[in-house]
Amino acid sequence: MKKRRAKSKLLKKLFWRWNEEKQTDFFDYALLFLVLFLVAFGLVIVFSTSAYTGELRKHDPAYYLKRQGFFAVAGIMVMLFLSELDYHIWKKASKIIMIGTFILLVAVLLAGVASHGATRWLGVGSFQFQPSEVAKIVIILYTAHLATIKAIKLNNWKTMARVAAFPMVCIALIAKENLSTAIICSAIVMMIIFVTSPRIKEFIILAIVMIAVMAIFLAAASYRLERLYVWRHPENYEKGYQTLQALYAIGSGGIFGKGLGQSIQKLGFIPESHNDYIFSVICEELGLFGAVCVICIFLLLIWRCAMIALSAPDLFGALIVVGVITHIAVQVFVNIGVVTNTLPPTGVPLPFISYGGTALFMLLSEMGLVLSVARQLKLPKEY
Amino acid sequence: MSKTYTRKKIFFLTISILLVMSLLVVRLAYLMIAKSEYYLQKAEALHERERSIKAKRGILYDRNGVELAGNKAVCSVSVIHSQITDEEAVIRALCSVLQMEEQAVRKKVEANTIREKIKSNVEKETADRLREMNLEGVMIDEDYKRYYPYDSLASKVIGFTGSDNQGIVGLEVYYDAVLQGTPGSILTMTDAYGRELENEAENRVEPVSGHNLKISIDVNIQKYAEQAAINVLKSKQAKRVSVVLMNPQNGEIYAMVNVPEYDLNQPYRLVRAEDLYRDKSGEPDNGSLTEQKKKDALNAMWRNFCISDSYEPGSTFKTVTATAALEEGVVSVNDTFSCPGFRIVEDRKIRCHKVSGHGTETFREGIMNSCNPVFMDVGARVGPERMYQNYRKLGLFERTGVDLPGEASSIMHKLEKVKAVELATMSFGQSIQITPMQLLRAASAIVNGGNLVTPHFAMCVTDEKGRKLHTYSFPVKEHAIEEHTSDVMRELLEAVVAEGSGSKGQVPGYRVGGKTATSEKLPRGNKKYISSFMGFAPADHPTVIGLILIDEPTGVYYGGTIAAPVMAEIFSNVLPYLGLEAEYSEEDLKKTSAVFFEDSVE
Repeated sequence: MKKRRAKSKLLKKLFWRWNEEKQTDFFDYALLFLVLFLVAFGLVIVFSTSAYTGELRKHDPAYYLKRQGFFAVAGIMVMLFLSELDYHIWKKASKIIMIGTFILLVAVLLAGVASHGATRWLGVGSFQFQPSEVAKIVIILYTAHLATIKAIKLNNWKTMARVAAFPMVCIALIAKENLSTAIICSAIVMMIIFVTSPRIKEFIILAIVMIAVMAIFLAAASYRLERLYVWRHPENYEKGYQTLQALYAIGSGGIFGKGLGQSIQKLGFIPESHNDYIFSVICEELGLFGAVCVICIFLLLIWRCAMIALSAPDLFGALIVVGVITHIAVQVFVNIGVVTNTLPPTGVPLPFISYGGTALFMLLSEMGLVLSVARQLKLPKEY
Repeated sequence: MSKTYTRKKIFFLTISILLVMSLLVVRLAYLMIAKSEYYLQKAEALHERERSIKAKRGILYDRNGVELAGNKAVCSVSVIHSQITDEEAVIRALCSVLQMEEQAVRKKVEANTIREKIKSNVEKETADRLREMNLEGVMIDEDYKRYYPYDSLASKVIGFTGSDNQGIVGLEVYYDAVLQGTPGSILTMTDAYGRELENEAENRVEPVSGHNLKISIDVNIQKYAEQAAINVLKSKQAKRVSVVLMNPQNGEIYAMVNVPEYDLNQPYRLVRAEDLYRDKSGEPDNGSLTEQKKKDALNAMWRNFCISDSYEPGSTFKTVTATAALEEGVVSVNDTFSCPGFRIVEDRKIRCHKVSGHGTETFREGIMNSCNPVFMDVGARVGPERMYQNYRKLGLFERTGVDLPGEASSIMHKLEKVKAVELATMSFGQSIQITPMQLLRAASAIVNGGNLVTPHFAMCVTDEKGRKLHTYSFPVKEHAIEEHTSDVMRELLEAVVAEGSGSKGQVPGYRVGGKTATSEKLPRGNKKYISSFMGFAPADHPTVIGLILIDEPTGVYYGGTIAAPVMAEIFSNVLPYLGLEAEYSEEDLKKTSAVFFEDSVE
């Protein structure tokens, strides 16, 4: 029934699905609330961390808040719009947008705008965005689609490689400028294939091989090894400055923190405290209690997504949600891991909270996809 | 619907995420509970900036409690950018009142910092004028500045301080630890760029005032001595005049004058002797001096000749030779010598100052006449080894230990190089160099009964409320020489003044002993001299010993003629002041009228 509807009414009802009488009336308000809460909380913390820098650099304490707020509003609108679209339209579209993204990634390498020492931005007039952020959602859709098609055959290396091939090419392009995003994208691809495939042994081998490759990769160049030394003893290295400042902020927060807005480390001690190291300011201002609350919200969000994935109407929907879960989970883990000096330093923003327009917009779009999958859940009436 | 294994794997994924996140929570708990104190302290050390509060520097009192160095309230002016309402008005006011360049003021006023210091050491009256203008955003803070009420009095002894309240020369640096106190501090929180944060609690540590120091200088004696020194400097157009007055019994220094003195309140203004001749105190033309030359000139100006420079003492050193001879028993007062006006020592003919010679004379007469051949003979009798032993007994091989920085030591021949010629010249105070302070110390031991004292200024330390915290005692080497030798020396030196070459050092009503000297400065032949007179009173039990040195006098340069009368003048004022009653003999009374008569003739 579902298949037929998707086929027959796809074009006609492309953007007006909510008029269809057969749709379930379910909408995951709990997930929506969690997302909105995170976004609102993020705006508060972005304002808190950037007001001083904003006043100093742009003579407007709300400069960063306004920009982030604009992307938040736009992102929420797109999220709500996507949640009303039937996600199956992305099956067909995924290949085309994947090729589009590939072109964008090549373009950014050729004609990108450099900022913070890396060429990651693509500018059209005054509008700039990061193709690598767009790539995350596109890779989720494309891999989910391909994995769904090849689901039955996904029990051998060859098929797995074929599914992963095109995304990996894109990831290689990303890795050139932004290793951490490339790792996140690889994790997404791997996780989607892992969930689809009936095999386990291959993935264990793969994990071992990847760890080995990583070790060789690190040991091959001394500057990468240096990063490890900095990680172990940040106080001895100039490059450990940011990590050390983050630790000062986290440590001085204590159990209940200094109170919202009371961070001192954000006053220029932590460079770009509204970006990747925003979590350290959350720790300083809201304490261990606040930090654990934030982690719990993320866990609730992931749990809610996992529930959607488990009861998704089809494999494609489930895989989209798995991709999104992987994306959020890896980013939260790496971000907090880096800020607490649990992992070697690398620049990964905290989902929904860190300052950054493209990232927030894309994350909200992903949540729109998840909400769209949730819209078609098969639920008992009384639920 | 997805397959069972897919569901299992999704479940596995979720659980894995939960576990990994728990690890992060554990890590966070470790950082924020176990290591919290550690990081908090580190962070605070990073955020806190210390603004120090000057401690009130201890006051320097003379022996009678007169303030020699104190503190004057001054102000520092700063602006607080965020509180300024009318920038232009503030800039205009600051420029006109503080007389500063507009550009410099504008830069500081417009700087977007919490607090910017405009000027420190602003006179209180000036600051009050600014305060009356009631400008918003302008802060005036009280501060202290070292102030010397007597300007140039004893400048080379007292010394001055730098902008950080630290002593730079003189007693100010020697007793810096006592006077300085402990600066307080205000701990403020700052951002990464060093700007102070508002609304943060200040952590204030109050400063501890320095202790007060009482020194043995007596302002009145110092003033007498300085005036006498200035008078002779002017009349003799000398390069400099130094006077030291000391209690030979305990080493307390009553006065130490080195004219030209400099103004302690303006220590970087050059003062030259020539300015004093004409009573001129106009601005010296510093502009013509290069930076290095000015620096050298300032250093020379701050230098305390009495302790930092050595010179050939000349005839005053004969007291040391005589003491050595008496100590060793190689001469008695009535031994006779003959002076043909010179003495041939080895291949050299060394002259007496009286070219025609003193003829046959006793040792006593030899001292009275300051006869060189007599002392050459006496010196030869003592011999180099025993001579050096006596120098050592009189402290001539060591620094005096005076409580001032920069004391020089003596320049002596090596014992093995002392041959007949060297011994002969040493005997009347040539070919060796000592500091005036060393001479005075040795002379003190010679006349005080044989005790080698340590010349000093410090007497006691008191706290702000005047309670005595510490009384200084300086080492005394008792019986450095025989008491009997000292008795004889006093008698001989009294005779020098009463009947001999030091007759101009007489003070009516007092028994004064002393010895004159005229030393030709090195290199010889330039006709540059140091005329000096060492005197003490009362001769039977001296309580004051004085030394005056006139450096490069013009015209008559004999110590007995120009230096002795100055000391007599000082003594005539100081001795009554110190409570020593004059006992006039018939002769004295006659002499007094004669002196007055002579004065009126001049």
